Amino acid sequence: MQRILVTERPNLADAAAEHELEYVAGEGVTGWDESAYYQFTMVEIAEDFLAPAEELEDLCLQVVDRAVNNEEVLSRLGIAEPFWDYIAESWRKGDKNLYGRMDLSYDAKGPMKLLEYNADTPTTLYETAVFQWEWLEQAKEFGFVPKKCDQFNELHERIVETLPKLGIEGLSHFACNPDIEDDKGTIGYLEECALEAGLETSFLGMEDIGLNDQGQFTDLDDEVITTLVKLYPWEWIMAEEFGSHIAASGVRFIEPPWKAILSNKGLLPLLWGMFEGHPNLLPAFFEDDPAAAAFAEAGTYVRKPIWSRQGANIEIVEGGKTLSHSDGPYGNDVHILQGFHPLPEFDGAYPLVGIWLVASKADGLCIREDKTLVTGTEAKVVPHLILD
Amino acid sequence: MKSWSSRSAVLMMSVSLIALTACEEPKVDASIYESLDQCKRDPLNTSDQCDASFKEAQSQHAAVSPKYATAEDCQADFGTDKCEVAPYKTSSGGSVFMPLMAGYMMGSLLGGRGSMMSQPLYRSSQSPNSFRTAENRNVGSKTGRTTVARSATSRPSFKSATRSRGGFGSSARRFGSGAT
Repeated sequence: MQRILVTERPNLADAAAEHELEYVAGEGVTGWDESAYYQFTMVEIAEDFLAPAEELEDLCLQVVDRAVNNEEVLSRLGIAEPFWDYIAESWRKGDKNLYGRMDLSYDAKGPMKLLEYNADTPTTLYETAVFQWEWLEQAKEFGFVPKKCDQFNELHERIVETLPKLGIEGLSHFACNPDIEDDKGTIGYLEECALEAGLETSFLGMEDIGLNDQGQFTDLDDEVITTLVKLYPWEWIMAEEFGSHIAASGVRFIEPPWKAILSNKGLLPLLWGMFEGHPNLLPAFFEDDPAAAAFAEAGTYVRKPIWSRQGANIEIVEGGKTLSHSDGPYGNDVHILQGFHPLPEFDGAYPLVGIWLVASKADGLCIREDKTLVTGTEAKVVPHLILD
Repeated sequence: MKSWSSRSAVLMMSVSLIALTACEEPKVDASIYESLDQCKRDPLNTSDQCDASFKEAQSQHAAVSPKYATAEDCQADFGTDKCEVAPYKTSSGGSVFMPLMAGYMMGSLLGGRGSMMSQPLYRSSQSPNSFRTAENRNVGSKTGRTTVARSATSRPSFKSATRSRGGFGSSARRFGSGAT
């Protein structure tokens, strides 16, 4: 793993415009930085990322399998009782999953460590699948990178191939919070993939979803929603007014309801509880677990709310002192404590490796860099390539 | 509120897409009649066949027809005196309106009941000569034996008026992005 400085493409502003990404003169593309790239060997990709990520996925599915039958676990994850059967049923029926991104701390010196699993509403999908790939092709043409290099990136093809296999019939609706450009971009890209796969699609804002007298969800034309591809977290759906209607609505949700177990940071102590000592796991405990007290006593850990997103409300404690503490709106939830495995530093940047999984197979890699140990909303995607 | 006319626009788009990608959608045989009498006058049918298929279409009408919360909205799409009160109430006890059944499409006679069900047809005020399925698929103006796009013969879905919206979205207003 190396961080290599490289010339930005001279056509970057045009490329951004073509892909409808925000470009600010003097600053570049928002959330994107191609003044450097990360270089991996094929062995690193295959042995340090691909194989362990798929093994972790297998462990995660074992956690789900156990959790759906365990009311104590479900309630620890903050999942309300009325949804237990619904989630368990979606798992037993084998509702298919589309995608997710595992965030890892990796320094090339030891095995990567799972920091969290964005298994429900992962973002930076377009930057990874499309913009990063185009960067590689154009950087080769400009002679900025070796012609023979490759990239761990089959995301687009795999999403297009997987969407029609999810059991979707008829029109699928795609929904998110329409006020957030980034979320709209991601769901819009998924919709494009679905169209490419030959599916019929329609977009609407989550707030525009209606309920009819038969307890079905409807779009703005009163069409009954049968499949909903949502970039909207399960814990929000379950907490909101219409949440009580999801089970009877008959809607096929993508991601499926059982993903609520994996997108929750409570997954980390559950994994540790079942597979303690696994080389890709960090010790983790629910804060109210007696074992957490002993763990905290040692003075070095990371404290996270089970539902925070984009680096909010994360506290790093080292040697008994708070090293950093990010703000955010998620502070009131249940917390977990996790072992501290700092991100490596390259040129003042801290790369967080994301491994993408489509239908539970590892299919792509993206790196986000921030100037701090906690990767937040200021982080930028930095491209990567593979060269032996 | 159902907007029949705006859905037609969507439909036109998807039809032209299909035309571009698949050249032509497969067609199937169907029989369209304005009334039970018209069916019985057609020498191709027996009286029993007409009775059975009309009954099948009529029994679906209330469930699958487009629904409106006001008579005005219904009439805007289907015309004055072309709407009736549906046998449903909103949860607050209000009336629900739907268009009158303007005809029906008989199922395929050769394929048996399983292959294609009979279904009610409607006429919109925008294109009163054409019959449309409850899914707003135009099946032409011809009565008697005709051909229609196979997709127009699929079983229509249940429709009811949306009674409330906005039951999702409150977390997004509080937290912003839902992405991780």
